[in-house]
Amino acid sequence: MKNARSLLPTVFLTPAMAILAVLALVPTVYAVFISFQDRELSRPDGRFIGLENYIALFSDRRFLNAIKVSLTWEILTVALTLVIAVGLGILLFECASAKMRNFLSLLFLMPVILPRVSAAFVWKFAFHPLYGIITYPYKAITGQPLDLLSNPFTALGTVALVDVWQWGLFFAVIVLKLLETLPPQPFEAARLDHAKTWEIYAYVALPMLKAPLISLAFVKMIESLRAFDLIYVMTRGGPGISTETLDMYAFSQGFIESGRISYASSMAVLMMIATSVAFTFIWKRAKI
Amino acid sequence: MKKMNTLVSSIAIACAFFGGSVHFASAAECSGTIRVLAQPRDGLTLLEKYKDEFAKLSGGADFKIDYLNENDRRAKTKADASTIGKYNVYYVDEANVALFASSGWLAPLQNYYPKDYDYADFDPGRQKVATYDGKVWFAPLTGGGDLMVYRKDLLEAAGIQPPKTLDEYVAAVKKLNQPDKGIYGTALRGQRGSGANVWRWMPFFKGFGGQWFDGKTPVFDGDAAVKATQTYLELFKYSAPGSQTGGWDEAVGAFTSGQVAMLIESTPLVGMALDKKSSQVADKIGYAPPPTPLTGGGYGHGLAIGAKANKDEAAKQCAGLFIGWATSKENEQRRLAEGQFSELNRTSVMTSKTFADMYGAALGQALADTGKVTAVNFWQSAQWPDLGDRWGIILEELITGTRTDIKGGLDELNGFAKDLVARGQ
Repeated sequence: MKNARSLLPTVFLTPAMAILAVLALVPTVYAVFISFQDRELSRPDGRFIGLENYIALFSDRRFLNAIKVSLTWEILTVALTLVIAVGLGILLFECASAKMRNFLSLLFLMPVILPRVSAAFVWKFAFHPLYGIITYPYKAITGQPLDLLSNPFTALGTVALVDVWQWGLFFAVIVLKLLETLPPQPFEAARLDHAKTWEIYAYVALPMLKAPLISLAFVKMIESLRAFDLIYVMTRGGPGISTETLDMYAFSQGFIESGRISYASSMAVLMMIATSVAFTFIWKRAKI
Repeated sequence: MKKMNTLVSSIAIACAFFGGSVHFASAAECSGTIRVLAQPRDGLTLLEKYKDEFAKLSGGADFKIDYLNENDRRAKTKADASTIGKYNVYYVDEANVALFASSGWLAPLQNYYPKDYDYADFDPGRQKVATYDGKVWFAPLTGGGDLMVYRKDLLEAAGIQPPKTLDEYVAAVKKLNQPDKGIYGTALRGQRGSGANVWRWMPFFKGFGGQWFDGKTPVFDGDAAVKATQTYLELFKYSAPGSQTGGWDEAVGAFTSGQVAMLIESTPLVGMALDKKSSQVADKIGYAPPPTPLTGGGYGHGLAIGAKANKDEAAKQCAGLFIGWATSKENEQRRLAEGQFSELNRTSVMTSKTFADMYGAALGQALADTGKVTAVNFWQSAQWPDLGDRWGIILEELITGTRTDIKGGLDELNGFAKDLVARGQ
């Protein structure tokens, strides 16, 4: 009986681990393997070239730019999403009636349900300098078209707004539901001590929600790494390379432009190592 | 399920009549589903109405077409052809036919294209584009060169004659540019890509005498490329908003919505501009060959037989039969009847009385005239997409102001080209 019970976790875990090994481990090991070769799509055979791909990456201006863009994207979208989520969540908790909260929660869930590619097309059209509904007021007032997606200084921020629109509103609903689960006593005690509203949230509510908020931040950090479809549809990495993230550049090298799958794999391997190290570090720091 | 796209059985040669008066020369015994990866074309959508006809002709086969836009179609066909190869028929174009053919991803078309479908009837220019290394690889679905398309009403109001030289063209674009009235001088393509901004830039480069390579040595980094880029950037000052990072769709959309005075674009633009369903300027346009010394960008897109998915001769024959039927004279006449100007490729159809009745003699003359200046502007090599796409990025940077040094950009491309040639050896 005891043996059967101790075997139970193994029985449940084995199929899942086996599937994970096939779906994740095999391609990962293969990616590492071919990153030391010079394989291209048009040439099925490749030879081992050691670290040449990795060394070449550090003199590739597009790769270095992609690191910068990816970091900017990550910081921008995670920070803005959390700020919007916490701000809106508190606003709903403070100002909206129960019915209104439910109605707005439903409304705020809609953007994230929308497929990302569809959202990207809708917003791309909305930002069009000639026909876009967002840019129309500017054109009507100034007489000049506003082309946010063609401007290297505004393109990334404009795409980030769409990402935040999808995820910030969704997270706001989660923050609202988290606030609703908190016990009322600490709030009442703070009010008796004449704490202002912002002080109640800054020093009472949010510290109580530290753990779930950190989890939300991690979910968003991982999600932001997978924003390929949104950026690809809205700007294709342009203007020039100003919105070209690492995954997009790797995809371009592997499939769109060169077919250099070994070179693309070396980028993917570096991304995997960097994100694993960074996430482990942040996770450990966040727990302290 | 796995067998859904497997084509079984052999071809039985016989003459047959299907669908009343529609004549198809070969009857076959194919089954399963022929999978096609293509980009959206009205002609292909029209084909889907006649699935039953193909089923009868082929002895029971069906076909399924997956559509992706041009850049995505190029990426997906490359990925599929080089790996699992699940598509029996690929939509290829002038820019990647060399890569697909030299990589062994395609089967030579004429070994499997039924003779009765008369491949020789296709426009000779398109046949040329479909040929690489002495073999034909695809049957054209669309193709042609460039035309200068302009708004007759705007030119007349400004007292401008249709430009015949590039200098006249640039002057006219500047004069016609009136953003305060919602009219822009021209519309170019700024979006990165060998088939996007580079495609529109190349007529300037070639027109100024530029060459890509001398043997295996890159020679494009010279005065012609600098002058071509300067002219292109100058014209961009008068190009419709949105075109700086836009491609064909943005340029054509701006023109057909009445916001552009004149542009030089691929010939299908005329069909779209003349179509009252999609164009607000259908009654106001004129067309002429590109101004001197610009060359027209000769191009061709079509259907080719995938080598991997069609594992045996019978499967290749079925794919060939599908391509033959899809590009047949009968289907092209259906496209003509639907007003799908850009989907016409056969000499017999384009010189027919029906064509002349529908589009008038002037268009026929303009097409004939532009044929004289149509040229292959790109580097005919399997490595062209790689080089062209890299220049596309640098050119987009120049257009959007991320960089300003034209010579520096060309020097960077020169270094890239040398690496590219070395890698290919």
